[in-house]
Amino acid sequence: MRKGVFLSTRRFLILVPLVLSLLLLQSYFWVPTYDEQARGNPGRLEEYINASIGDASILNPILSADSASSEIESQVFDGLIDRDENLHFRGRVAQSWEVTEEAFFFVNDAARVPGALGSEPESVLRHLEQKRNDPAALSAPVQKSLQNIRALTLLPPRNYTVTRPRPGSDAKAAAEIRLEVAAPARIKLVLREVDQDLFTHLAEILGADYFTTFQAARHITAAPAVSETDLAALTEALLPAIEQNPVIEFRLRPGVRFHDGRAVGAADVRFTYEAIMDPRNLSPRVADYEPVKEIHILDPLTLRIVYKRLYSPAIGTWAMGILPRHLLNAEALKQEAVRSGKDPAAFSMRQSAFNRAPVGCGPFVFKEWKSDQAIFLDRFEDYWEGPVNYKTYAYRIIPDLLTQEMEFYAGTIDSYGVQPYQVERLAGDPRFQSFSGTSYSYAYIGYNLRRKPFDDPRVRRALAMAIDVNKIIRFVLYNQGERTTGPFLRQTDFYNDAVAPVPFDPQGALRLLAEAGWQPDAEGRLAKNGQRLQFTLISNSGNDIRKSILAITQDAWKQIGIDVRTDLLEWSVFIQERVNKLDFDALVLGWSMGIDPDLYQIWHSSQTGPHQLNFGGYRNPEADDLIIKIRQEYNHDRLVDYCHQLHALIARDQPYTFLYVPKWTAVLDKRIVIRDADAEGRSRYRRITPTKTGNHMFYFNQWIKLAEMPQFSN
Amino acid sequence: MNTENTAPAAPLEEPAAPRRTRFEEFWRLLRKNSLALAGLVVFGLFLATAVAGVFLTSGSKPVLDPSVVRLQEKLRPPLSRSDAASLKPDEIPAMGVYLFGTDDLGRDVFARMLQGAWVSLTVGFVAVGISVAIGIFMGAIAGYYGQQYVRLEQVMLAAWLLGGAALLAAGVRTLGAVVLVAGHAWLFFSISPWGVSRRKSPPPWMRIFLKGTIRVDTIIMRFVDIMLCFPSFFLILTVVALLPASIYTIMIVIGLTSWEGTARFVRAEFLSLREQDFVAAARALGVGNFRIIFRHMTPNAIAPVLVSATIGIASAILTEAGLSFLGFGVPPPHATWGNILSDGKRFIFDAPWLTFIPGAAILLVVLAFNLFGEGLRDILNPKLRQRN
Amino acid sequence: MIAFIGRSIVQKIITLFFVSIVSFAIIHLAPGEPSQVDPLNPKFTPEMVERFRTAFHLDQPLYVQYAYFYRDLFRGSTVSWKDNQPVLKKIWERFLNSLPLFIVGTLITWTISFPVGIRSAIFRGGIYDRSATFISYVLISIPGFFFAYILIILVVTQLEVPVIGMQTFGIGDTAWPFRIMDRLWHMLLPSILGATGGIAVLSRYVRSQMLEVEGQDYVRTARAKGLPWEMVHYKHALRNALLPFVTMFGLILPGLIGGSVIIESIFSWPGMGRMAYEAILSRDYPLILTINFIAAVLVLIGTFVSDVLYVLVDPRIRL
Repeated sequence: MRKGVFLSTRRFLILVPLVLSLLLLQSYFWVPTYDEQARGNPGRLEEYINASIGDASILNPILSADSASSEIESQVFDGLIDRDENLHFRGRVAQSWEVTEEAFFFVNDAARVPGALGSEPESVLRHLEQKRNDPAALSAPVQKSLQNIRALTLLPPRNYTVTRPRPGSDAKAAAEIRLEVAAPARIKLVLREVDQDLFTHLAEILGADYFTTFQAARHITAAPAVSETDLAALTEALLPAIEQNPVIEFRLRPGVRFHDGRAVGAADVRFTYEAIMDPRNLSPRVADYEPVKEIHILDPLTLRIVYKRLYSPAIGTWAMGILPRHLLNAEALKQEAVRSGKDPAAFSMRQSAFNRAPVGCGPFVFKEWKSDQAIFLDRFEDYWEGPVNYKTYAYRIIPDLLTQEMEFYAGTIDSYGVQPYQVERLAGDPRFQSFSGTSYSYAYIGYNLRRKPFDDPRVRRALAMAIDVNKIIRFVLYNQGERTTGPFLRQTDFYNDAVAPVPFDPQGALRLLAEAGWQPDAEGRLAKNGQRLQFTLISNSGNDIRKSILAITQDAWKQIGIDVRTDLLEWSVFIQERVNKLDFDALVLGWSMGIDPDLYQIWHSSQTGPHQLNFGGYRNPEADDLIIKIRQEYNHDRLVDYCHQLHALIARDQPYTFLYVPKWTAVLDKRIVIRDADAEGRSRYRRITPTKTGNHMFYFNQWIKLAEMPQFSN
Repeated sequence: MNTENTAPAAPLEEPAAPRRTRFEEFWRLLRKNSLALAGLVVFGLFLATAVAGVFLTSGSKPVLDPSVVRLQEKLRPPLSRSDAASLKPDEIPAMGVYLFGTDDLGRDVFARMLQGAWVSLTVGFVAVGISVAIGIFMGAIAGYYGQQYVRLEQVMLAAWLLGGAALLAAGVRTLGAVVLVAGHAWLFFSISPWGVSRRKSPPPWMRIFLKGTIRVDTIIMRFVDIMLCFPSFFLILTVVALLPASIYTIMIVIGLTSWEGTARFVRAEFLSLREQDFVAAARALGVGNFRIIFRHMTPNAIAPVLVSATIGIASAILTEAGLSFLGFGVPPPHATWGNILSDGKRFIFDAPWLTFIPGAAILLVVLAFNLFGEGLRDILNPKLRQRN
Repeated sequence: MIAFIGRSIVQKIITLFFVSIVSFAIIHLAPGEPSQVDPLNPKFTPEMVERFRTAFHLDQPLYVQYAYFYRDLFRGSTVSWKDNQPVLKKIWERFLNSLPLFIVGTLITWTISFPVGIRSAIFRGGIYDRSATFISYVLISIPGFFFAYILIILVVTQLEVPVIGMQTFGIGDTAWPFRIMDRLWHMLLPSILGATGGIAVLSRYVRSQMLEVEGQDYVRTARAKGLPWEMVHYKHALRNALLPFVTMFGLILPGLIGGSVIIESIFSWPGMGRMAYEAILSRDYPLILTINFIAAVLVLIGTFVSDVLYVLVDPRIRL
């Protein structure tokens, strides 16, 4: 009897793992294979599953700064405008808009206006009116500027008092000064469209120094008195001689609703702006909206945005998702704080639960966010453009590239970021359709122009000539890249196709280096005055392509006798210890860019300090001038012209060795097609085709997956 | 069924047997353990490969250059011949053959593996060397001096010095420096003949400072406890991710986080050794404490250390591979088997050899170390020795 | 006994205090700053970075930051820098995800190790023992991610079923048995991979414990008495060999918050390990420190439990 008990101890010990393994293994038979997924569950066809490497961080368009978050936000939120197939602006929540300008200048009674009766306001105004009506004697650009003026009005003088903190003192209330302002008369010009040359042209009529000799300080008395330079700074802000205020008037589309049913109105747009500017929210987008002077709500669907100065990237910023005011205003936040038992005084939008359960007016309604696993969205049935075809949108987080591919094969994701080396294998697969386009970024080798030998443009050019970029594109990127020669996006008009890439020519490089004084020594190593040509090329770790570029350039430069060391640093060390402190010789990095051609932060000479983005230290007055002009130009053709000039200039100076623009590739199941309804309401299918700029997702709202691969007639 | 009853009878031990030296005895036992022997053989081969690797892949004109990039020759399968036409003369690999194929930059995988063998070996040995050194030191101190008390005076001094260092770290430079200097001045004063503890009969008010507070053993073992509170891979990852990547950081960090086990069993050995006659004899002869610890006792406590060191090298190699997978391994230009493997995994469909060659190599070497360590344990632990 | 427990608790609390200081120091003395103040975002101005630093107390001296952090931690009001979520809630969510993996992994480890270890001890030196030894060493010698990739590729290409994640995506509202089995299937590979090391170590340990006991006189006596061999091994020997394993129950406790970064990243399993890893990458100090603190608490509780258990089950130890 007892023997039996111990026999069963042994059996028990063997049986338990057996049963456990069998239980686990049999679960295989319940899991759907690739083919069974759609057959067993037709709902799968109406579900779009996208894979990403990283999770979103905060689902609030004004607070997030990462690409995963913005991808979700673009589905949940709609902005006033976006870009169409040709990258031109297109209305979304806004139905139409108009960009005009209001310009002001103070009447300068000290200046003599040639040809006018006197220098008092009325005569200046009359003089301008007269020139406008009879411009024949003026040059063509000036004529154009005058024709652009819609109205001229005279604003009477005005007296008022303001208090300002005393310049140079940081104590709060202690040091204030009262300023008595006796503002002279001002002339207001309403323009049909923005004209950055307005005042240069007006100066031809009113006298070259009419605007520069305006003595603002004469019109201000300070109490207590301050030094002249301080007063000048104060008056500059209070009474600028000239002021140009671009105005954008948006007319919103009626009937657009948030996901909770409330109508979207001008008040929501203004609220979104105010939320960005609220310092407590720490919004990373403050810089974009800082030029806004004021926003007027003309009626519930019309708003008028006035800017402090010319800033042409301004329109593009209104692609920002519109926040629902009724859920996030001070009152709502206070209630939320009380509900969750937090201190209402310290509670800001950053703490709100909204950021994990956003409500917008975009095509998809937020449903659920499982951290590091997936984000689920449902389609919005009341979407203003009509509901989209997919019922749900899932954003899966799969951190490993290889397993993303495996999941794609298993059919549980519909699309993922295909890596260059996977493209060839996947593009040839008959089950899949693939799309490819250039991305909004470029890779470069940046030099620290403050250090020798990089201060010599010949050396920079020679370094570029020694690198066979085509070889990098061919072998490292598997042809998933295109050469680029300058700082603009390849797919925009701003890119100057006339600029030729630096040729691969090691002999030429040696000649250029010899011109710059670098001669090969006995062992073939370059030296100048006994000093060997050596430096360190760094990049951040964790990026395989950059790692390869590092190895290839090191090798290429070694070939012409340059002693290059390489170093890979962890991202935050790389940025904070080396880039921000400007402590590097050369680095491999990339910029990802918006469509807007504003290059101020990356190339302007005022941005060369530590912690600024022109870390290479590029300074060129000519380029500075163009950069400012680009920032202020609202006319597309002129913009393109300035950009082409700037592109050629930077390509000539070679502060970077511009390498390539990476291409992205998307692979989709061939059963995913575009479905739209014809006149009788029947469904018609067509193949997904990319737009001219390569964007295959443009018609995403019409996509749907079919059970069988369709046969297209055309 | 009862195999152990029918096992062949052991040969009778001859009375002369004990005359064999320790090494002969070891060798005899090792030969009986075929797995351990195989482990040793692989271990030897690995060592030879690593040494050969250093000679073949370094210098200005190495026989096998692991850093030559030949993009047009990328992802060639093993044993393929190089295309002499498209290469410069000094780019052609030795004998014109890629023994293990080429990687995504056209570098010779065989040369990289050779170079990596040495680096991987260094990482393993140095990391384990650090950990064993700290472990023996800590364990020996705890085991030998364990029962002595630290005096209040010493605790206060340590707190004072720590406080000074903390002030310095917190940015209060002058005060911190003053505190540190004062602390050191007191330290030298107390060691000097006039110091408090050296006096024959300190005044009664001073005696309170000479009171014992806490045992040396307690301090060290609590410190071991503190270290054990950190999940080790997580700790390594944190430090490696936060510090600038370098091969030294990795070796030091692995070493600094894995000495606790060694310290524990060295301490246990010491606790029993210090009661033994040969220690008492040495002490009676007036041999200094440190000489007793390191010359007399440590050699007798070394056996378990050897076992854990062998297995430690194996796990250091694996840890490095794991770190490489996460992108925090030994940074280039050093090739290690770990980073060859994790670089290669992207191409597992296009170029499986880039994954399987380093993967198999790591498996083989780590396995060899483990088996040898296990055999060593059996041999060195008489309790586990098979009684036939 | 009470005195032992009391002393040991005080000791653990002191240890914990030092752990908190050490971990805080390690993290804050390292170079680099939280990625939320990523200065390479063109939209970030230096003033904004400064504001972030103030909001996170990064501009304060270290000991003040230390005090702030542990005050918040004990109030339970620590929030992650990355997304302003309460840290404890985040950890709890991830803990629930890691838990099933941990349970299945532990079950596999413990149920398989015992029969394997016992059998190799009984048939010491035989083919079974040698191959078990060999296989278990192969299992701990193989780099985890290498093994994982091989398994995944085999399963996906040969069986054409998904293995990544916690469940199959897009199976929608299928019947509950399917969903449960689907979850079980997704748990299979990661928990096997997580268990391999454990099986190897534990079965070796079982084997050596058994051997130690089998060498004892009473086992030899039992054998000499002519008891059936199963009874000798499974009653007399096994019972005494089990003793140290009782204490190991305490030591598996820290595994609750461990979770392998590598396995979780490969299988995109939203568990503790991955959260910790991502916290390290983004330098989300509150989250790293909290995880570390909880891990330390669990380690200490684990050793405490195992000490107490040891005292309870081993009659040789008297207090």
